This record gives sequence, structure tokens and C-alpha cells, in this order.
Amino acid sequence: MRKDLVFGMAGSGGDGIVSAGDSLLQAASAEGYHGVMTKSFGSQIRGGESSCRVRISTDPVLNPGGNLDVAVALNWEDFLKFGAELPVAGTTVVIYEAATGVAENQIPLVGVTPLQVIAVPIAAMAKETAGTERAKNTVVLGLIAGWFGIGAVAVMKGISKKLAKKSQELVEANQKAFDAGMAFAKSHPLKADMTIVPSENKGGVKLLTDGNDMCAAAAIFAGCQFFGGYPITPSTEIMQFFTNHVWKYGGAVLQAEDEIAGIGAAVGASFAGKKAMTATSGPGLSLKSEMMGLASIAELPLVIVDVQRGGPSTGLPTKTEQSDLFAAAFSAHGDVIRPVLAPTSVADTFRTTIEAFNIAEYYQTPVIILSDQEIASRKETLDPIDTSQFKIINRLRPSGTDLQDYKRFKQTENHISPISHPGMLGGTYLASGIEHVESGAPTNSGSVHARMNDKRIKKFDPLKERKDLFEITGNPDAPLALVAWGSVAGVCREALQMAREQGLDVKLMVPYLLYPVAEQTYRDFFASVQKGLVVEQSHLAQTFKVLRMHLDLPKGLQSLARSGANPFLPGEIVVALHHLLSELQRSHEGKLQPQE
Amino acid sequence: MSATCEYQAKDYKSDLKPIWCPGCGDYSVVQGLYRALAAIGRPPHEVAFISGIGCSSRIPGYTTAYGFNTVHGRALPIAQGIKLANPDLLVLAAGGDGDGFSIGGGHIAHLIRRNIDITYIVMDNQIYGLTKGQLSPTSQKGRTTCTSPYGSLENPVNPLLYTLAYGAGFVAQASPTDLVGMAAIIEEAIRYPGFAFVNVQSPCVTYGEEAQQIKGLKAISESLAALGHDPADRLAAMDLAQHYGSKMHLGVFYKNPEPPPTYDALIRERQALLSKDAPPKERILDLFIKK
Amino acid sequence: MAAQGIDFASLSLMDALDLAILIEDEAKERYEEFAAQMEQHRTPAAATFFRLMAVNEAKHGQELAGRRSQLFGGLTPTVTRAMIFDVEAPDYDEARAFMSPRQAMKAALASEVKAYAFFVAALPALKDAKVRALFEELRDEEVEHQDLVKAELAKLPPDSGLSDDDFVDEPAAQ
Repeated sequence: MRKDLVFGMAGSGGDGIVSAGDSLLQAASAEGYHGVMTKSFGSQIRGGESSCRVRISTDPVLNPGGNLDVAVALNWEDFLKFGAELPVAGTTVVIYEAATGVAENQIPLVGVTPLQVIAVPIAAMAKETAGTERAKNTVVLGLIAGWFGIGAVAVMKGISKKLAKKSQELVEANQKAFDAGMAFAKSHPLKADMTIVPSENKGGVKLLTDGNDMCAAAAIFAGCQFFGGYPITPSTEIMQFFTNHVWKYGGAVLQAEDEIAGIGAAVGASFAGKKAMTATSGPGLSLKSEMMGLASIAELPLVIVDVQRGGPSTGLPTKTEQSDLFAAAFSAHGDVIRPVLAPTSVADTFRTTIEAFNIAEYYQTPVIILSDQEIASRKETLDPIDTSQFKIINRLRPSGTDLQDYKRFKQTENHISPISHPGMLGGTYLASGIEHVESGAPTNSGSVHARMNDKRIKKFDPLKERKDLFEITGNPDAPLALVAWGSVAGVCREALQMAREQGLDVKLMVPYLLYPVAEQTYRDFFASVQKGLVVEQSHLAQTFKVLRMHLDLPKGLQSLARSGANPFLPGEIVVALHHLLSELQRSHEGKLQPQE
Repeated sequence: MSATCEYQAKDYKSDLKPIWCPGCGDYSVVQGLYRALAAIGRPPHEVAFISGIGCSSRIPGYTTAYGFNTVHGRALPIAQGIKLANPDLLVLAAGGDGDGFSIGGGHIAHLIRRNIDITYIVMDNQIYGLTKGQLSPTSQKGRTTCTSPYGSLENPVNPLLYTLAYGAGFVAQASPTDLVGMAAIIEEAIRYPGFAFVNVQSPCVTYGEEAQQIKGLKAISESLAALGHDPADRLAAMDLAQHYGSKMHLGVFYKNPEPPPTYDALIRERQALLSKDAPPKERILDLFIKK
Repeated sequence: MAAQGIDFASLSLMDALDLAILIEDEAKERYEEFAAQMEQHRTPAAATFFRLMAVNEAKHGQELAGRRSQLFGGLTPTVTRAMIFDVEAPDYDEARAFMSPRQAMKAALASEVKAYAFFVAALPALKDAKVRALFEELRDEEVEHQDLVKAELAKLPPDSGLSDDDFVDEPAAQ
């Protein structure tokens, strides 16, 4: 029996394999399991190669998993296109379409002997029972229910609900296909028992959603009342959520004519006193630079979500990467500090988004949320969130006294000035991108500029002291360390568990605040560290470089970085940690050699 | 929103000293704007005035409205956000011909088709003044400027045809050659319930050509009203608009006699409809419950 | 016509005086604005002249206000600034950076001529005899002012005939 199963399924878009993954995850969730589903596609809008990975577990799932436990290939050409994203190992059970004509001992996977390989006449079964080959995906779900014990009842319940509006015939056809799959599984038992441990959580409330929807919902919860944006994969769903729901809360959303107009409208809404947001991916972030600079100098609160994808330029629109850190922290000319936060999962996208709004409002600044394609589009089960625990911060409003001789950019002890908005009597001011004196009037004086830069930069000092924006796990004095953020943090969390089970003394730092760099927090973390890895999906190792820019890193801290669309697996991180341990031991031994 | 009350032109004038060259047409434009706003009577703190970058874009700072001098070409998107965030505000946008029709050109069409209640005033002087006299999108073909020393090879954009063709509900042209007329047109534009465009032929005394100074403009000026033009006739308006560059027609080219509901009004309706019976935002995660 | 909504036929003496005061006010403000522009653009001689003109206009305004107060006490005016536009105020177009005192005086002269024309044009429409008398007085005053400015002009040394552009810096790009 297994507590954790990772399914990887691939076919062409017409096979409905992603839809099957959805159904599987929903069924698992209904049965009380934890689960995560990611999808990966080719570049065709329809009918290209299509895959999904579903990980189901009795414990909370930290990441989509490493090697597959179960691989389902509806055809080999498409399956192979996904290469490292669907890694088959000696522990994998491979199920594939018999109609491919490939013999079970001749499947085209090089250098690996799977645990078991089974050819199943999936298309034929679909045709026979449901009357159409298109019901292949339902047959697959039946096979999974039969062999692995997930969703025996829940899957069809879900499918019936989904198709209820269409026709009873369709539901029945699907039921037949499902039953056929189950029957095949029962009559062809697997060599190993891979059924999943029964869940103890049946009947509990679980939420199921993806990172984009979660981000938008969190924004509305935080009081966001305006969204301006433009469609771009993989962030468009955030805008779509707003178009469905924000009206109910007295807010507005604008799909603008371009990326710049999108953020422009959000800047305007913030100037008008509303919490505002925009969302995009790498190419849009580049376009939005100028507006971000404007918001910084005008000290306007604003949240900008960048759902990172493969770059540079158009890059890989449907794959994840972590190569926008430089752009998020440094783009927009001039001396600017712009806070950058990063969620690590769908679940913590909720509080990261709220935090982004709080920081934006308190410090009167644009804030970037660096999400990534994996978190944004992966579906995750999560336990209900108690929203009452979250504090919402609003921008500092001028008092009656302030309004008597109102100076929008008044120097204060903490460099934060009360901010008015149109409609507020006595609060009139000129906002602008040009440098300005306390009242807002334009200036080109060097001394004023120096003071204003001081204000705009020093106001962020307290942010760097916030320990609650960092997650540190493991022995605080451990000599080995991992640093990772975003979706890679989930992989490292699992790697940490595995490494510690194997006796390694290692700790993990997950920063939620990427910029400004909290130098002291890192120094404290690195004090005990002799060897470590900064793990990231960025060819240039942007995180490693940003850290090195700001503080002296331990000599033994190395970069483990690679381009996106080449996911890290927990297992390989553990192997890397073992290497580091060996290096560490050798260097100690070296030190213990008596001098000649 | 407070009731309109007695305001005078000087209530809309700020203490900031304009950087405009003495003789600049924009002094007259802002004077006309003060008068228009006084006639309309909205309190200055309920007016939001957004501009881009350029000499004429400095204008919000010279008023007592909430001003926002933004970035080049992007006054309209930002103004859009302000109006949608608070539709009760009186929202004005302004800039020059380059700010509006070069870098900003892509935005105008969308403001028009959304019909957001914003008044957009372009101070058209056929040159880039702030940056020292480069070609602008409305410069005449053959014009020599510091970026066209051998003469411009480009045909100018026609701001009047542009906005008329995109379906703007209110298009007018004004000039400091007729101060009273200009103030009246600006007032009418602001009063128009929807997106309104006013092109002001406002000469640049530092880089403008002789023929385009006040005297030169007066020589080619014609009143649309005097011509008997019917502002409800869009095609006639477009016909007259073709003379941009050779004649300066002053007055209202087009004004929709039956203005459709504005985008901001429609949004308010939608908000009212959908927020009835909506659960509080504290329960928003209920949307993700899978039963 | 620089006037809006004024029915000259029914203009009362009080209205006429109030209008005249507003006209002087507008001119005074414009001269002050011109002086500020000149200072902002480092043209001190013209600035000084415009300040002088502003003071003159203020004086005229005060005289008229005195008369108005004697005749009509604190009665609320019915005419407003919105009814006049650039009657005696110099055209914005007259100002130039680095303008010489001669050019500044010519601008003042032009506005006196403008004001003269305003009163002359209004005269035929006026019905009230006292108002007629006032407007004639104001018209004649404009002539006096013009003569004063012409006298000042005559005192000026001749312009060098050289162009400013040969001496001043090029405009600065922003």
C-alpha cells in the first residue's frame, strides 16, 4: 500500500488527458486526500502534445513530485516530448495504449527498466463501451480506480455532475467506459500492491484551486477594488477572476488595450484612493517598467503580479522559470527600491498576496509578487483557511491637521507621508514622475533630490527586519544549507525531509521577501553554514548573484541553477547534499592532517 | 459629491509659476480652462487633471485640481483608471500633439470606443517643444526641424479625422485666436456626458513656424457655426476635418445629439446589480470549496 | 467680442462701474502675471515695466471703486468676471522671453488700443445717459494712457537693431 502516488499522463490534446487529471484530482480531494496537479502542453492551441501530472497523498503535498509512480502514455510520440517533465524510473508502472503496436518489452524509453509495463487496449475499450474512442480518458480513470484505489465512486460522481447539463446518454457512456477500465484492472492485477492507503479525512471540507485564482481571491479579500490588465499566458486567469467577481464588491476591472494601459489604469485607480492591481508575465513586466518607476516616485501603492515563465522575450510561454528576479528588483531606471515577494504554493499565495497589499499600502509603493507558471496553473487541494487571522493594512490618511497645510510628500520620521486622494477636501496636490519638493511641485534641485531619494529608499528599512517573511526549517546550527524560493521551495522542502531522514544535518531557508535583501537575516542564517546550495531555475543564477551583491556569502555556498522547463526533483537535491557533505568531510580531514 | 457652488476662475489657478515661454498659447488655454471650470462650478478638489509629458503636459500643476503629471503618452490610461475607481470625479486629461498622437496614439481609440466620461484637451503646436523642436506627428510634410533638417518626409496625422473616424461623441477645435470661443468650447466638452476631444491650435513661440503663430492662425481661421455646420452630422464634420492643416476651423465638429450611456455609468449599474445578495469578501474562499 | 452676456442696452450705472472695475482688475492681474513671467524668464527690465503697469491699473481700479462705493455703497454687483475676457489685459501672445522695454511698452499700448475699441464699440448700444458718459470718460482715458505710453516709448534709446537670438543661449531641452 502506498501513501503517495505520482501519476504522469500524456497524449494529444484531443485525448482529454488533462481533463482526466482534473477529474482524478477532484475525486481524490473529495475522498479526503491531498493532491497537486500540473499541466504541460506543446505550443498548438488544440491538439498538440498534452500532459498532466497528478500527485495524490495522505499527507500534505509539497511539490508535484519527482519520478513517476505511474506513467500513462496514450501514444509514445507525445509522451516522449515531455522528457524530463515526466521521468520514468525503475519504480514506475507504465501503462500505455496497446493500439500503438509497441511490444511491452520494446517501449521507447531509453536506459530505464520500469517496474512493470502494461499495454491496455484503451481506445478499443472506449469505442466498445461508450461508442467513441474519445472516451479514452474515462477508461484511464477506471484503470486508475481499479489498480490504485482512487476515485472508484468519486470520479463518476464528479463526471456526472460536470456533464449533467449535457445529456444522460453522455453520462451513461462515460460510466460504461469507466467500468470497463475498472474491470480490466481487476482482471489484470499489478505485480506490486500500489493501492493507496485509505484516507482518514473523508467528508472534511477541502478547497481546490490554482495559484492564479487564489491570488485574485486574496486580492479581493485584501480590499483590492481595481484591476487593470491585459491577457498574457500564464497570468490571464487572474484578470478573468476579477471580471467574474470584483463587481460584487463595488470594484471594477478593465481589460486594457495593452500592458502599459493596464498598469496605467491601476496607477490611476491607486491615485484615486483605491487598492489596485495588475498581473502579467515576463514580456509584460518589461513593458510595465516605466509605469512602475512612476508609481515609485509618486509613492503610490500598487500590486503587480508577475507569473514567471521561460524567458527571455517571448521565451517559453507555457513553462515555468525563475528568471525575472533581476527585472522585478532592478528594472525601471533610477535609484528605486521595489519590494518583491514570492509565494511557494497555491496555499501560501493567499497570505503572500495579502502581505503584498499590506506592504504596498503601508510603504506607499509598487510591490511585485513573483509567482511562477507552475504555482499559477497547478491545482492544489488545501485545508480551509481561517481568513480572520489576517490583518489588513490601509494607506495612511491625512488627519484634519495635516490637511490644513497639506504637503503630500512631507518628510516624517519614518519617511512615510499621509496620502490624500481626489475628492478629499484640503488634500489637493500634484502627483508626478518628475522630482518634487514636499508639496509635490516640480524641482530640479540636487539637494532636494538627495533628500527625496533618502525618503523613498530609507522608508523601506523596517521591511528588511521582518523575520516573519522568511521560513527557516531545520537545525539552526546546521553546517549544510539550502536556499530556495517559489515553486522550487516545495521541492527543497521535500528534499530537506528526505535528507534529514538520511541523517544529514541540513537546514532550509525559504525567503518570501526577495527584495530588498534582508542582509542581517541572511547573515544570521549563513553564520553556521559551511556548505550549501542556492537552488533556482535561472541560467544566470539570479538569486545567487543578488545575494552576493548584498552580503558576503559563505565560501562553501554554491549555486545549483538551471534554465526553466527542466524541473528540479527532490531526489537530485538530496544527492547534491550528499556530495556537499563529502566535500565537507574531506576538507575537515584535510585540516586534521598533521603538518609535515 | 458636493453641490456645485459659486467658484471663480481664480479659484482654479494654483500658485505654481508656469515654465512656459512667455507668449506660449498654453497660457490662454489654461485661462480658458479656469473659466470653463468656474462656469461648471465643481469644487477644485473634486477635479482630477491628468497629463503626459511635454510643455503642455505641465498644465495640471497650474490648476488647483488634483493633478497627475504622468509619463509620456499615458495620460489616458491613467485617467481611465481614476474615473473607473471614482466615477464621481470630474476627470480631465491633457497633453500635446506628440504625447497624444505619437506615443499615446494607441490609447485614444480605446478611450473613444469605451466612451468613458473624460475630457481630453490636446494642445496642438505641430512640434515637440519640451525636447527642443523635433518633428511631431502633426508637423506638415516638408517641415524642417532638428530631426528633419532636409524636410519631413511624413504626412501628418489629422487629429480631428482620427477622433471622428474612431467614433468620438464630441470633437471640437479651438484656439487662443478666439479666447471666448475657446473657453466656451472647453466648457461644452466637459459638460458632454462621454469622451470629449478638444484639439487646441496653441502656437509654440519658440519653435513654431511664423505662419502658425497667432497672426498666421487668425488668417486661416473659420468659424464652423458661421459656416452653418450642423454638429449632429458626423460625415459633414469629417468632410470639414479634412482641411486640417490648411484651414483652422473653430467650433464643435461633432456632438452626438443622443449620447449613449458612458462606460462608467454602465459599470455602476453592473456593480449595483451584482453586489446585491453577494456574500461578504471575507467568504471569498468559499468559491473554492469542492463538495 | 470680448464680452459675454452683457446687455449694453440695459446696463445700469452701477453695472457699468462694476464692469469698468473688473476690466481694470483683469488688466492688473494680467500685468502681474506678465511681470512674473518676465522674472521667471530673466527679463528684468520688462518685468519692472509690467509691474508699473499693474500698479497703474490698480490705481484706476481703486479710483473707480471709490466712485462706485460713494454712489452705490455695498450693493452686490450683478456683473461678473466671466462676462469679460481680455478687454484691457494684454494678449498672452504679446509676451516674449528677453523682450525689450520697447516691446513691453508696445504690448501695453496695444492693450490700451484694445480697451479703447471696446468702449467705442459699446457706445452705440448704451441707452442710459450716465452710462454713456462713463464710457466716454473711460474711452478718453484710454487715449490719455496711450499718450503716456507713447511718451515713455519716445524716451527710450533706440533699439540696437540686433536680434536676441545672436546673443542669448539656445533653449534648454527638458
